Amino acid sequence: MIQKICSRALAMCLVLSFGSLGPALGQDMMTLQVTAGSSNAVSTDLSIENLDALDQVEFETSTIWTDGISTYSGVSLKALLNHLGITGNTIQMVALNDYAVAIPFADLNDDAPIVATRMDGKLMSVRDKGPYWVVYPYDLDLKYQNETAYSRSIWQLNRLKVID
Amino acid sequence: MKAGMNRYRIAVLAGIGLLVLLLVNMTIGLLGQLRDLSIAEDDNLQWSISQIDVEFANLNAIISKRLSDPTVADDEIKLRLDIAISRLGILRFGRASILFADGQSFQNLIAPIESFSDQAIAIADKIGPISDSDLLQLRTLTENVRPDVRKIALMGVELSAVRNDAQRIEFSRQLTRTGGIAIALLFLMAALMAILDRLLDRAAKRDAALLTSTQLLKSTVAASLDAIVTANDKGQIIEFNDAAEEVFGWRRNEIIGKTMENTIIPQQMRDAHNLGMKRFLAGNAPRVVDGGRVELSALRKSGEEFPIEINITSAQDGGRLKFIAYVRDISERKINEQNLIDARDQAQRTDKAKSQFLAVMSHEMRTPLNGILGVLDLMKTTKMDRQQMRYTDIATASSEILLEHINDALDITRIEAGALQLSEQIFDLPELAHSIVDVLEPLASEKQLTLTLRIDEAMRRGFYGDSNRLRQILTNLIGNAVKFTTHGSIIVHISGIHGPDTSSLRFSVTDTGAGIQADQVEQIFEDFVALAQSEGRQSRGDGLGLSISRKIARQMKGDISVLSELGKGSTFTLTVPMQRKDCGSSLEDDIAENTSVIPKDRLEVLVTEDNNINRKVMRDMLQGLGHSVSEAVNGVECLKQAQTKRFDLIFMDISMPTMGGIEATNRLRTSGGPNAKTRIAGLTAHGIDEFQAQAEYAGMNEFHTKPIRLEKLREILSGINAHPSPAPHSDTLQELCRALGADKVQSIGDEFFSELDKLVKEVDSGHMQDRSEDLAEAAHKIKGAAAILDQEDLETHFTELEQHARNNDLSDLPKRLKTIVDIARIARVNFATMVKNTRT
Repeated sequence: MIQKICSRALAMCLVLSFGSLGPALGQDMMTLQVTAGSSNAVSTDLSIENLDALDQVEFETSTIWTDGISTYSGVSLKALLNHLGITGNTIQMVALNDYAVAIPFADLNDDAPIVATRMDGKLMSVRDKGPYWVVYPYDLDLKYQNETAYSRSIWQLNRLKVID
Repeated sequence: MKAGMNRYRIAVLAGIGLLVLLLVNMTIGLLGQLRDLSIAEDDNLQWSISQIDVEFANLNAIISKRLSDPTVADDEIKLRLDIAISRLGILRFGRASILFADGQSFQNLIAPIESFSDQAIAIADKIGPISDSDLLQLRTLTENVRPDVRKIALMGVELSAVRNDAQRIEFSRQLTRTGGIAIALLFLMAALMAILDRLLDRAAKRDAALLTSTQLLKSTVAASLDAIVTANDKGQIIEFNDAAEEVFGWRRNEIIGKTMENTIIPQQMRDAHNLGMKRFLAGNAPRVVDGGRVELSALRKSGEEFPIEINITSAQDGGRLKFIAYVRDISERKINEQNLIDARDQAQRTDKAKSQFLAVMSHEMRTPLNGILGVLDLMKTTKMDRQQMRYTDIATASSEILLEHINDALDITRIEAGALQLSEQIFDLPELAHSIVDVLEPLASEKQLTLTLRIDEAMRRGFYGDSNRLRQILTNLIGNAVKFTTHGSIIVHISGIHGPDTSSLRFSVTDTGAGIQADQVEQIFEDFVALAQSEGRQSRGDGLGLSISRKIARQMKGDISVLSELGKGSTFTLTVPMQRKDCGSSLEDDIAENTSVIPKDRLEVLVTEDNNINRKVMRDMLQGLGHSVSEAVNGVECLKQAQTKRFDLIFMDISMPTMGGIEATNRLRTSGGPNAKTRIAGLTAHGIDEFQAQAEYAGMNEFHTKPIRLEKLREILSGINAHPSPAPHSDTLQELCRALGADKVQSIGDEFFSELDKLVKEVDSGHMQDRSEDLAEAAHKIKGAAAILDQEDLETHFTELEQHARNNDLSDLPKRLKTIVDIARIARVNFATMVKNTRT
């Protein structure tokens, strides 16, 4: 269910489809801002291209917020942080509406959760949980079907911040 | 017991199975519950729903802020609108849609919200910046929809609460169920514990019973008088009781673990033991094991072997084969048995020796009696005065009694030895009875007794049976009656009943004598019992007669009984079965035919007899009766003489050297010579029964026991076929001398001694080497002569010599001969002196 796909090829596709997005999505809205350390000094903005350039993880699962089973693909959160050379104990994830939830580094697995960039192969709009959605493969394991995992499944994600 | 056990086991197993099932069920139920609890999806959903209201409030706030502050960017408003609209998807999809379940109130609420969404999107997606009118319209729309949004958020919260309640109730139910199951389990466990407790209790009781019985068995085994040895399938002893210690001499603790083979089984039986074990273990049929009592031998620790009686059984003990041997030491019993056997053999030998002694004695006594009676009879033919006549009569009577005793003793021994044989023939009953009564009539007349014979008409006929034995019994019965009756009468009554083939003859002899006391009636039939009269023995002694008579009667399948009343008399009754046979005149014809010799004044008689003295006595008697006598010393000589001369009568001794009388008769009859039909009278000093059949078969006309009395001789010569009946006397050398004259006796003596010398010389010169039979015959001849001549010592020695010669035991022959020569020398002098003395 979880697949790693050659990132280059996928990135090309995404660049082509990007132009068809609605005017409600501004260019900066697709940016994921990552801040290392609490001092606020270092901050990296990742575009969708940046994310697509990383190793992709894809799986099928159902969620409690959607009907049926869908395919989710994106970048493993742990791999993303490793790629950026970010270390720490806890990372805070923040949504467009400023909803925030913290997750310890220790709870991150190699393949879950992912920062999903696509649902069923399509980018997600803000009106539909976009631009990014932290997703666990809930169907894969009972341990992802609890309150902690649900609360960490943050949608309309646009910031990551190491707080500890 | 066993079925009960099984029931319990099944109950326990079923209980355990039920417990396991319940546990599995409970575990599954609880696990499900736990999972439901761990998958807490509703809380987050509830929160997400409630957040709709917040997002709409934020949208309203940002619109209001723009209206008052135009610096607020369009994008800011669009983002808030997008966020608010994105929340509507939560209500439509996923778990929320299940929660709301498309209820009518939800539809009523969602419809305006969706319409707002459409209108708001239409405004927001217009090209270009958002105008103030659009903004105002958006605010109005937002304000209008907010109550519905709030209602729907509250509805989600309410529905979630209801759902949670239901879940709680379900969980509580599950807990109740689980508790119930737990309680049921506890009860089940309690029940199982109770069953286990009972089982344990029962097992304990059984253990106790087993222990008791084991101890009982142990004490039984220990107290057993028989040795009990238990061994395993390797032959190793595993149990050894007290009695076994006693019997085998091994202590229990030193023999346990050793094999039987190396301890209690004798050397020579070990191979057989091993084979037997192998055979048994191979499953073959055992010979000793489980085969009941067997007598074998065993070994004591001391090494001595002893006889045992053993009973081996096999048993399975926990899958292992065990042999249990019950052993009894029977050495003492065996010794006792041997002693008994020895005692019996000894008794039998003694008895046999006694019989043999009696038989030999009778025989040896008859030979000298032969001489005595012969000379007494001869003496009666000489001139004697009255006193001499009286003495001669007394001597004759005494000798007759003696002979009777001898015959009786011989009869007894013969009957006891089973040698008595019945010789059956056709006879005329009245004739027999009359002849007996005629003989005894004189005795009765002497005592002034009347002797009456009565014969029933039906019995006046011929029968087939042993008439001689019948005569013997009747003579005895009538003789006794005469003997023991002082006055009155004797009645002999012959009656009987005719059966289909045989008749039961009944001879009763009734006297008027003293009678017999009731308690002595049976005693009179015992050997050597003569009932003593108060005044002493009344008449001739009679020790064996009745006993013999009864024995004979019983042999003839009859019996003798007695009825007696003291002082009035007795009735002896002989009953005996006999076959009826017509005799008519055949009897007379037989006699006429067989008797080829018609008595005439002077007969030619041949005396064949090996004993010189007997031969001479016989010759003298015959010559005294006026007959011509020829002599032969054995069968060969007899045949020789018979070839040339025809004799009227031949006396033939049975036992003779070279050729016996039976063979000689046989040859004479088949020779076709002049004497082929001559009357032959057999003579024997043995009992008649032994030779009668052979004698008759060989062709002898008659058969007599020696001694032959003068009267008997007359009878024989006159052709009267007399029955063998003895007559007694007494003997001394003096009487012999008186009878024959000293000269004659001296000459007989001389001949005797010279024959003796001749024999001694022959033996000395080695002629008798390897001829022990001849030696025995010679010794036999001299022995007979020695008896007549009253040479007791010599007789004894020659008897021994004969015996040894017959047994071929001639080891000490020279020594024996020397003794005989010494005795003979003295005896010859003494003999001469005694003969000489008789002359004076």
